[in-house]
Amino acid sequence: MLALLLGWALPAAAQAPAPAPASTPALTADISTDRVEITTGFTGASVLVFGATENLIGPESGEDVVVLAWGPPLPTVVRRKVNVLGFWVNGPSATFPEVPGFYAIAATRPVWEVLPEETRRTTRLGLDALPLRAVGGQAPAFRAALLELKQQDGRWQEYAAPVNVAGGRLFSARVSFPDTVQTGDYRIEVLLVRDRRIVARQALFLRVERVGTAASIAHVARTLPLVYGISCILLAALAGWFGSVIFRRS
Amino acid sequence: MQVYLPIAEMSVDALLLLGIGFGVGWLSGLFGVGGGFLLTPLLILIGIPSPVAVASGANQTLGASVSGLIAQWRRDNVDARMGAVLLAGGFTGSVLGVQLFALLRRAGQVDLAVAFFYVVVLGTVGILMVRESVRAILRRRRTGVATPKAHEHTWLHGLPFKLRFRKSRLYISIVPPLLVGFGIGILSAVMGVGGGFMLVPAMIYLLGMPTSVVIGTSLFQVVFVSANVTLLQALQVGSVDIVLTLLLLAGGVAGAQFGAAMGTKLRGEETRALLGLLVLAVALGLAWDLVRAPVSLFAIGPAQ
Repeated sequence: MLALLLGWALPAAAQAPAPAPASTPALTADISTDRVEITTGFTGASVLVFGATENLIGPESGEDVVVLAWGPPLPTVVRRKVNVLGFWVNGPSATFPEVPGFYAIAATRPVWEVLPEETRRTTRLGLDALPLRAVGGQAPAFRAALLELKQQDGRWQEYAAPVNVAGGRLFSARVSFPDTVQTGDYRIEVLLVRDRRIVARQALFLRVERVGTAASIAHVARTLPLVYGISCILLAALAGWFGSVIFRRS
Repeated sequence: MQVYLPIAEMSVDALLLLGIGFGVGWLSGLFGVGGGFLLTPLLILIGIPSPVAVASGANQTLGASVSGLIAQWRRDNVDARMGAVLLAGGFTGSVLGVQLFALLRRAGQVDLAVAFFYVVVLGTVGILMVRESVRAILRRRRTGVATPKAHEHTWLHGLPFKLRFRKSRLYISIVPPLLVGFGIGILSAVMGVGGGFMLVPAMIYLLGMPTSVVIGTSLFQVVFVSANVTLLQALQVGSVDIVLTLLLLAGGVAGAQFGAAMGTKLRGEETRALLGLLVLAVALGLAWDLVRAPVSLFAIGPAQ
């Protein structure tokens, strides 16, 4: 992940112009929360990314805002079903060892309209700009299926939500996480684009973690599987006994 | 009301789980089986990953069977010695079954294997039950007597290592009960079922045990085998979701009591015919899933 981040951060930094005077930053952004908590009632969450720019945003002034969210990498395997003797079974597979578990991009205008293709590729702005290198099956169909299925379950989003602009300078965008979101550190990038160049950027950080009962259960299950297994047995037995006492109808 | 399942890592409607638990519990109370064979496919149907559905299904079966076992034990309907022999086979079988499950999971074929086991086992058991009960119903219509003749002596009774099972009024070799226990142990690990729906016919027709002790002894075996499967799944696959289990149990124990009350109004062979049809219906539904063209040719999952 670090290599991935550095890989696209460096060329962009090189082309960024001299920083604007400290008193008037070209871009200021923040998020509504830096922690998404997965509780036992968790059904997904969304965070608001908002901020202001020094100049007016829009086609007239030629300034655009891009919001990008990255989740921790999640090695993913894509399997193709094949028909064997009339049954559909899992056949060949391709493993993508370095794809982000979550990726979302939103912008005031689609990035391909405001940035040169080369910048878009090196900065990974867009699902088709992600480096999806597979181990195993190399057929392009695996890549296409990965892109399609990840978008279907909401873990990869491309212009799914708009970047709203108010009063010409205030912008806001919502990043929505589905209930299947993985825990870990997320990075949200806000980019300011002018004259087909990235002129300012700000990185914000977000942590998704389980809290409360859900966190303790998952923690015990992972670190003390023996204790967890025995507890599950005892709890189920107790619940069965308890239920038979309450609901006895004879 | 949505609730987040910490091991399945997804959120589901708690009322839906309570409802599924109640429905399955009602049927299991009615038919005197654990109901795991219905529960696990239903869980997979609503989107719970197969490993979690199988492991939590076994955990739920354990809870559901405990209450039944307590009741049967009080009425002295448990042949503990026969249960212990079945268990010895069952433990060995479930240890092997969990290894098989982990192997299938690594090979990426666990969904297929679970569905395939279900189709074959449920299909066979369903056909046998329907055939047997229809015959019994016809016999009753003809002669007015439903009970078939007492168990016959077959080659099974010629095997060595004989042991006296006082409660079952049997003096047979321990090899057949060991094999029966072993087979059901494997199936319960792979399918997430207690095996009651297979064990009850096996004890009546293969071992020739009297019906009065069959349910209690089957529950005895199911409680311990499902406890063993729960523990092994927690240790080796890490897929037991206790939140899921407890929600299903809350609905299940209530449903089971209502089902049991209703079950006393039905005749034995009619109950068996209905259960047989239900088992067959589940098998056909799962078979259809295996042969029809999938919605998407591709599936994604986390790499191991």
